[in-house]
Amino acid sequence: MKTNNFLKAPLTINWAVTNRCNFNCQHCYSRTDPSEELDCGTLFDCIEKIVTAGVLSINFGGGEPLLRKDLTDIAAFASQKGLRVSMNSNGFLISRETALRLKTNGFSKVGISIDSHVPEVHDRFRGISGSHGKAVAALAHLRDAGIKTSISTVICKINHESIRELISFAERHSVHQLNFHNFKCSGLGYSNKDSLDLSPDEWKDFYLVAREAKQQNRGLEISLDDPIIASLGERTETDSLVKGSVCGKLSLNIKSNGDITPCGFIPIVIGNIVKDELKHVWDTSSVLDRMRNKKPTGKCSSCKSYEDCLGGCSARALALTGDFNNPDPHCWVHES
Amino acid sequence: MKVFRNPDVLWREEDESRAQAYEELSKGGDVGEMGTSVLFSDGVMLSLNILGTEIWKRCEGWSMDEIIADLVEQFDVDPDVLREDAAAFLAGLEQKGFIRYED
Repeated sequence: MKTNNFLKAPLTINWAVTNRCNFNCQHCYSRTDPSEELDCGTLFDCIEKIVTAGVLSINFGGGEPLLRKDLTDIAAFASQKGLRVSMNSNGFLISRETALRLKTNGFSKVGISIDSHVPEVHDRFRGISGSHGKAVAALAHLRDAGIKTSISTVICKINHESIRELISFAERHSVHQLNFHNFKCSGLGYSNKDSLDLSPDEWKDFYLVAREAKQQNRGLEISLDDPIIASLGERTETDSLVKGSVCGKLSLNIKSNGDITPCGFIPIVIGNIVKDELKHVWDTSSVLDRMRNKKPTGKCSSCKSYEDCLGGCSARALALTGDFNNPDPHCWVHES
Repeated sequence: MKVFRNPDVLWREEDESRAQAYEELSKGGDVGEMGTSVLFSDGVMLSLNILGTEIWKRCEGWSMDEIIADLVEQFDVDPDVLREDAAAFLAGLEQKGFIRYED
């Protein structure tokens, strides 16, 4: 088991540069976060810090990162410092000109959130009429500008039975990767979990179909980033490096005010990038140490998949049970 | 044939792990499972041990013969065994798109 942490720093920083958003998504985890934003100069200093620590890539998120007028300045600075720069966006603000500007300023990949192949379903879920059409147009503009694209789909009640349609949709729009994200009960995702989240058996059914589709679709990369698929004998993309959740092992999250958290869905602040050295936080955080050395509890104690899944998604366990050592509430495996 | 790293692959040598592995190696220990570098591209991630890392670092236009000749100077290893291991290792990297060969 590779629970030890041999990495000197995170490989990737997910950086929520703003919590502002032009959408009204039913599962949003950041819109209700009142944290302030760091100014551009402070962000430059912080980016220098993460480069010095050895971080290789930065993924901007939010909120909608394009609502920051200085996003391309920040990206250009990060890119010039040697970081691989990417972003998650809802695509609404990505015109042909914006896509070209993103390319010029160092973006190598942009993920667009699309939750359904049916425009009306996506628009209703995201709370903005016409958002599906804009997202699809953004994919084309980005592709034309020479930026790799991916579609990020949050799996929940509105789409869990539309896997093959979502894959066909992604293929039609020539994206490089389709990311099926498991539903997190954070922010509004917690408030709306009863209407949006799946039952453990529904998750199992989803992953069985998604796994089969992934095996059949060699042209499109399909990412299933959920550690609980270990019980199906399926390996995640990061499995050769770490087991279980990657948060705090391969990546960290930085909030708009500089607070460092293990991931965007775990609201435990372990430092602040303005005040603290990233490496010090990475090496000494007791929270990260506990996440990297989880102890099986409950049904995990006797589960033969534990070595590979390490209890599943730490964020979900924390949100729904109060302790990330507890079994992932999405897990369908019954106690043996 | 020269071997080249795919520039899209991000990688980093892990200094502390590298130092630990070399210390263990100097004591005659087995360092085959000790990761000293990490590679990733498009979600695919790998950790490499000392020998894998040293081969990877030479994927900048070296031929297989040049890589083997250089590494047998540095490591106490049978050249034929090293050649076989290196060929399998590079084949795996090529399959993942992490390296390419050029004449």
